[in-house]
Amino acid sequence: MSANPTLIAGGGPQMRKPLWWAALAVVIVTALVPALFIVAAGKNPLTAYVALLAYTLGSTNGFYEVLTHSIPLMLVGLGVAIAFRAGAFNIGGDGQFLMGAMAAFACAPLFAGLPQPLGLVLYLAAGFAGGAVLGALVGWLLVRFRASEIISTIVLNFIVLQLLSWVIRGPLQEPSRLMPWSDYLPETLLLPNLIPGSRVHYGLVVAIVAVAVLAVLVKKTAFGFRLTAVGRNPFAARYAGLREKRVVVWAMLISAGMAGLAGSVQVAGIHERLQDNFSSGYGQAAIAIALMARLSPLWVPPMALLFAVFYVGAGVLQREANIPFPIVYIIEGVVILGFLCFDAIAGKKEAS
Amino acid sequence: MADAPLLQLQGITKCYGSLLANDSVGFDLGRGEVLGILGENGAGKSTLMNVISGLIRPDGGTMQLEGRTVAFSSPREAAEAGIGMVHQHFKLVGALTVAENLALGDPRWGRRALLRFDELKSSISEIARRLGIEVDFEARVDRLTVGQQQRVEIMKVLSRRPRLLILDEPTAVLSQEERPALFRMVAELAAQGTSVIIISHKLEDILDSCRRVVVMRHGRVVSVSDVGGKSRDDLIRLLVGDDLPVLRPKGLPTEEGRCLLRAAGLSVRRPNGTVALHDVGFELRRGEILALCGVEGNGQSELVQVVTGLLKPDAGRLDYWFDEGGGYPDAAVLRRAGVCHIPEDRLRDGVLVDAPLTDNFLLTHLGNAQFNRQGWLQPAMVEAAVAEAVSAYAVKTPGSRAAMSQLSGGNQQKLVLARELASDPSLIVAAHPTRGLDVKTIAFINNQLLARRSAGAGVLLASADLAEVWQIADRIMVLSAGRLHGPLRVSDTTIQEVGRWMTQR
Amino acid sequence: MDLMIAGLAAAGIRLSISIAFAALGETVSQRAGVMNVGLEGIMLFSAFLAAAGAVYSGSPWGGVVLAILGGLLLAAVHGWVSIYLCANQIVSGLALVFLGAGLSGVGYRLTIGGAPVTIPSFPAVNFGPLREIPFIGPVFFSHTLLVYIAIALAIVLYLALPRTGWGLELRAAGENPHAADAAGINVNRYRLMAVLFGGAMAGLGGAFLVLAQVNAFVEGMVAGRGFIAIACVVFGGWNPLGVLIACMGFGLADALQIRLQTWYPGIPYQFFVMMPYGVALVALVIFASRSFGPAALGLPFRSLRARRSAS
Repeated sequence: MSANPTLIAGGGPQMRKPLWWAALAVVIVTALVPALFIVAAGKNPLTAYVALLAYTLGSTNGFYEVLTHSIPLMLVGLGVAIAFRAGAFNIGGDGQFLMGAMAAFACAPLFAGLPQPLGLVLYLAAGFAGGAVLGALVGWLLVRFRASEIISTIVLNFIVLQLLSWVIRGPLQEPSRLMPWSDYLPETLLLPNLIPGSRVHYGLVVAIVAVAVLAVLVKKTAFGFRLTAVGRNPFAARYAGLREKRVVVWAMLISAGMAGLAGSVQVAGIHERLQDNFSSGYGQAAIAIALMARLSPLWVPPMALLFAVFYVGAGVLQREANIPFPIVYIIEGVVILGFLCFDAIAGKKEAS
Repeated sequence: MADAPLLQLQGITKCYGSLLANDSVGFDLGRGEVLGILGENGAGKSTLMNVISGLIRPDGGTMQLEGRTVAFSSPREAAEAGIGMVHQHFKLVGALTVAENLALGDPRWGRRALLRFDELKSSISEIARRLGIEVDFEARVDRLTVGQQQRVEIMKVLSRRPRLLILDEPTAVLSQEERPALFRMVAELAAQGTSVIIISHKLEDILDSCRRVVVMRHGRVVSVSDVGGKSRDDLIRLLVGDDLPVLRPKGLPTEEGRCLLRAAGLSVRRPNGTVALHDVGFELRRGEILALCGVEGNGQSELVQVVTGLLKPDAGRLDYWFDEGGGYPDAAVLRRAGVCHIPEDRLRDGVLVDAPLTDNFLLTHLGNAQFNRQGWLQPAMVEAAVAEAVSAYAVKTPGSRAAMSQLSGGNQQKLVLARELASDPSLIVAAHPTRGLDVKTIAFINNQLLARRSAGAGVLLASADLAEVWQIADRIMVLSAGRLHGPLRVSDTTIQEVGRWMTQR
Repeated sequence: MDLMIAGLAAAGIRLSISIAFAALGETVSQRAGVMNVGLEGIMLFSAFLAAAGAVYSGSPWGGVVLAILGGLLLAAVHGWVSIYLCANQIVSGLALVFLGAGLSGVGYRLTIGGAPVTIPSFPAVNFGPLREIPFIGPVFFSHTLLVYIAIALAIVLYLALPRTGWGLELRAAGENPHAADAAGINVNRYRLMAVLFGGAMAGLGGAFLVLAQVNAFVEGMVAGRGFIAIACVVFGGWNPLGVLIACMGFGLADALQIRLQTWYPGIPYQFFVMMPYGVALVALVIFASRSFGPAALGLPFRSLRARRSAS
């Protein structure tokens, strides 16, 4: 947005090591926010929280639900972390998620006949590609025209949303042409169940593999170094001949690809078909997750689990104390602000 | 000249953590006197001036202005008391006009509901006329030359009719020919009763304009004397102490060095429309140091950026020894081929400030198979290389895992030098490598460049310091308003002639 | 045909105002050097507050007041975090988006979300006979009060920024805060004031959406307008009148899109809904490569007095 060779003013979010006391303080503050609403509703926050934790972490059903939700959160969160690391604010995770799902679904007939693991892998690759194309577009617009990726990703979100709305009422609509959703995904392309008696599917394996791959990519390879350097100081990256523009486009491509992959995984593992706006705000939550993970791929899974606890827990809070689901968004906002505050205070302490 | 001093300082002390920037500094300044504060970079001059002008508060000591003890808590207070300071780095807003800059923050014209430009213009014109200067009120400041910007800055300070004017390194951005005009203005001001303090690390400035000089070293005042009373050598010895670092003998340049870079017809236009380079051509050969001189803003930065692959020229050819295609290879290609670049703005362009030294070292060595095997980083090798560099270049660092920000400026620059020279480059582009550093580090860096030159590398040295250039360069070329003069052998010309080139249109 | 164009123009103006308020506020904020990408969150929160305020007070002005307060509150958080804690402005703004969305959703479902409510809204200003003038009447003289306030605001800002003392100091704070600081200006106070103003205006934008445009509240009704507003600041070159024109361009595209849906029922309506966003994307690409914002935009400022300064 300001005149610098690649990107945003000020460089990407700081990647300082998390301080344990800062993390604890953020958790406490975050826990207080819903507590306020619970008290206002006339209920006891402690019983509500105990019920929340008992369900999400204490009961097998609850925990499996948490695991299920953590799958897309992990994948999109990884993607956001990669983009932010390069200084590109990819906040269009939701749109890229849906785009990937649509692309994979559209290509499904091609892969349905193939032997099982191969077809599924190709299906997922198509999902990645669907999101990646969007990401590459945004990245190109950013480096070639200095068009802010914040605005372009959000605008594309709304465009993709409309595209999905049309697709499930038009070309990909289910055979009876009555309902706003698509036909079912061919059986050979469904992600098998991982834990019997739950909704946890093999998407979890995909997510864990992705974490491993990206962690190695970021920490151990030259590409990862370039990514981080560009995010830290785009001027120095340029000076050093790191070809910062190319790095940014690749970062956006991978980032959006991960979101697209998440979308195709979600369809193949849970919904089994396309329907209206099923990204459930994962793209948004992924931003908070990536920031909490300090943009490090290895910290994304625990943070994704934490947010999955919030998601599932919100349902518990609704039952216990009538707290509406959007409380999760408030928590996301508070968490980010909390981290910003403690990060800034820690930074000031370091400088003095 | 009245006998009572205008300004008296006693025991001024200021600490920054463990750094004692000012150690019990004291002197007097008379009315209508021009006093010089002489000290090398890091001696404490700027800190002292910031104390006098109200920007910072001293930890100890007192200040009397016209006999009354004063302690300023803001520059505004100091300005109201009659002290005006013209900073080395101008405090002008580039996107605003001259008139707007002059009005900014001024209670008479700027801090009002409706800006009063007419009154401003008449008041400033009066001052400018008496000093023999022209002012273009409607011009955007970032379109002016640096010398013109300095005049705006000075006008802004003079408009408050200060009794004391402080000039911080005023000739740093002026050409040889513009200096006399500045000193004429200073003399006129003194004659009108305004006291002037000139801060500089250049002996010539002090000798040409001041009556008395205060010499500072390591935060302390080492001498207060009349300029006439001391010899040049005396002053130099006071300035740097007794252990003058010695430059290695230059030795004869390799006569028939292979041509490393041939530039022809380079032209560059800046985004704001002004011409940075016009039809620039030269050759750089092995085993020589080619100095590129010029007043800041005349195209030096742009030429450095073109040669290092960071800026594509609008026209012209670049033929490197490895690629005679005449095209414009980018920075990545150049580095792989053996071109290295010591950047002008180290903090912005050259380093990752918050990252560890190893990351900073690796930054420009990703093309080296030792550190990057098929895309896989070799951190152990990088650490070894950094350790070697740290010891070879005597870099003072708090530890092996230190971040770049924990090093002092001089040590950061030494590490940058170590990094750039570690790849054994054939072509070294060094942009103001010694700017702002202390004498020891300056000598170290210059010795390194000389050593590389003897080993057969070609060095393009962009510098504004003619004295330094004369000591180490073989040939010299000057950029003035985007046009190139030379290159010429240093032995075939004089500093005065080069100085004249720097102001030709 | 005339009637159609007049109707289109009038609708275009009406549909641009909510974005215009937010964009004008953001222009002031960015000219001072602070970016607030959280406008979407502020507008979401303020839209809900406007609805609730109007319902509970019985008058649309109650909604306006509450909406502005909400905007000030969220902007104050963003301002404190990004100006005084020097945190990354974009991340802080994003937090605001989430916060605003959450507060809006929770607030709505806990208060007026139960049963359908009628929200007292603004009537059109009565210009009497002026309204009857063919073409000009419906286009210019048939709007609610807030529309005229928005246009007046743009004009006032356009005149005030270059001519007033605070305009000069605000611009200096955004272009070169060190110079402004040296001139004795309290940079961070200006920035905070600018951010608060931006928040209040975004709040007004949210209020307009509910009380003068749609006359109802639906969750998520802001639909990206907060981000479009930021884009309009770029399109308008950080100049209040340019920004207003950019917003009107978007409003026109929006109005056109709605009409196109009924004129061409054969084409799936989703493509028309996409259209204004597509226009925004194209405009972004065209304008972003041409304009440069305030030089210090997005960079936090710490006064020299608090910093170490090496000699």
